[in-house]
Amino acid sequence: MDKCRKNIVVLEPSKIVYEGLYASISKSEYGYAFFHIHTLSEIKELTSIKNISVVLINPALVQNRVSEFIRIKKQYNDIHWVGIIYCFFDNATLKLFDATFQITEDTTAIIRKINRICNNKSSDSLHDEHLSKRETVVLKWLSKGLSNKEIADKLNVSIHTVNTHRRNIMDKTGIRSLAGLTVYAVSKGIISLE
Amino acid sequence: MYKPQNSYITKDKKMIDLINENYSLLLCLQHFHIDFSVDNLTVKQLCEEYHINLNVFMVIANLYNGFFPSHHEIDKIDDIHSIISFLKSNHSFFLDDKYPELKYYLGKIKNNQSNKDIFLIEQFFNEYFEEVLEHFKYEDDIAFPYFCSLLDDHASYQQNSFSAREYQNHHTDIETKLTDLKNLLLKHIKIKSDLNIMRKFLDTLFGLEFDLKIHSVIEEKILVPLIEKIEQGKNG
Repeated sequence: MDKCRKNIVVLEPSKIVYEGLYASISKSEYGYAFFHIHTLSEIKELTSIKNISVVLINPALVQNRVSEFIRIKKQYNDIHWVGIIYCFFDNATLKLFDATFQITEDTTAIIRKINRICNNKSSDSLHDEHLSKRETVVLKWLSKGLSNKEIADKLNVSIHTVNTHRRNIMDKTGIRSLAGLTVYAVSKGIISLE
Repeated sequence: MYKPQNSYITKDKKMIDLINENYSLLLCLQHFHIDFSVDNLTVKQLCEEYHINLNVFMVIANLYNGFFPSHHEIDKIDDIHSIISFLKSNHSFFLDDKYPELKYYLGKIKNNQSNKDIFLIEQFFNEYFEEVLEHFKYEDDIAFPYFCSLLDDHASYQQNSFSAREYQNHHTDIETKLTDLKNLLLKHIKIKSDLNIMRKFLDTLFGLEFDLKIHSVIEEKILVPLIEKIEQGKNG
């Protein structure tokens, strides 16, 4: 349903490191597709056929080619660049990336980080599991079978806003199907069956 | 709690050791129609005895041990028929074994009380299973025969009538609702019931989720890419 199938590129010469990242990150609940490339210049070729969300990159590959890297980053500004940290890199290099992770970090922490980047979720907004008033209203209409567009019209907001509410409802309740959300809404008294 | 990591299955490991380490491999053996009395046979010997493609077995058994296949391992698979027959066996396990079991527990839970919420859960469960049935029927009647005709190059293969891409689009995410059912019961809805029966119900749900997860990984990450490669070859 809302699961994203995003493309992750691993820019890293070592096959062992790539295989390790692939095996670990494949355990995420989101179905990521993986691509392994060895040099910065291969990005251009790949982006022409695939929509890339994230590049996990070995910082050593850009250390001596900073200006080229900055140019590529500007050219593909939708891509999130995540540094794979396995030894000391100076701050100037690390600053080039949108995020970094240590290869010694716990796998689930790395997965969470990548999930977050791919979904653009802020980590703090999800701590409160109670639905807000607005979310409850959106849930009510959803359970009654209204489309996103109809809800947007009713509440006088954009479809994009309705989608955001919808995503938050799913994240907070852990329920992603419409039928499941309806059961939730009935059991919590948000709607009645009559 | 100490939980050893399952080992990566290679052809020379002894099946008995692997089962002792992770008994969910029994289910994997069942799907391959392999008897549980495995003697001292290695994975390779066992596959030979049962005429099962070794690469296919190792890729699938490793999924049960938590290892996703690499592109290289997927590329090595040269027997798509056995993947399809594994998936078919998976279907019958789901329908003939797990479904009646869940129905039975649900009936018991329902008898114990008159809470309206259990009826909501039951309705959700029934609707969910209808979708599952529809999905399986689609695979058994349309997708799998198409794949087989593609592999065997039968005259019935028609170039543009169907494709792996279409299969993937049709492949609705049946795991989502299963997770929802678990979350409804564990997070949101309190149902007074005998704990033992409720645990067995949940236990079956978790077991099913595990098997379904493997089922869809095989379909999405192994079967579809392999079929697409063949389609590309045929379409020039």
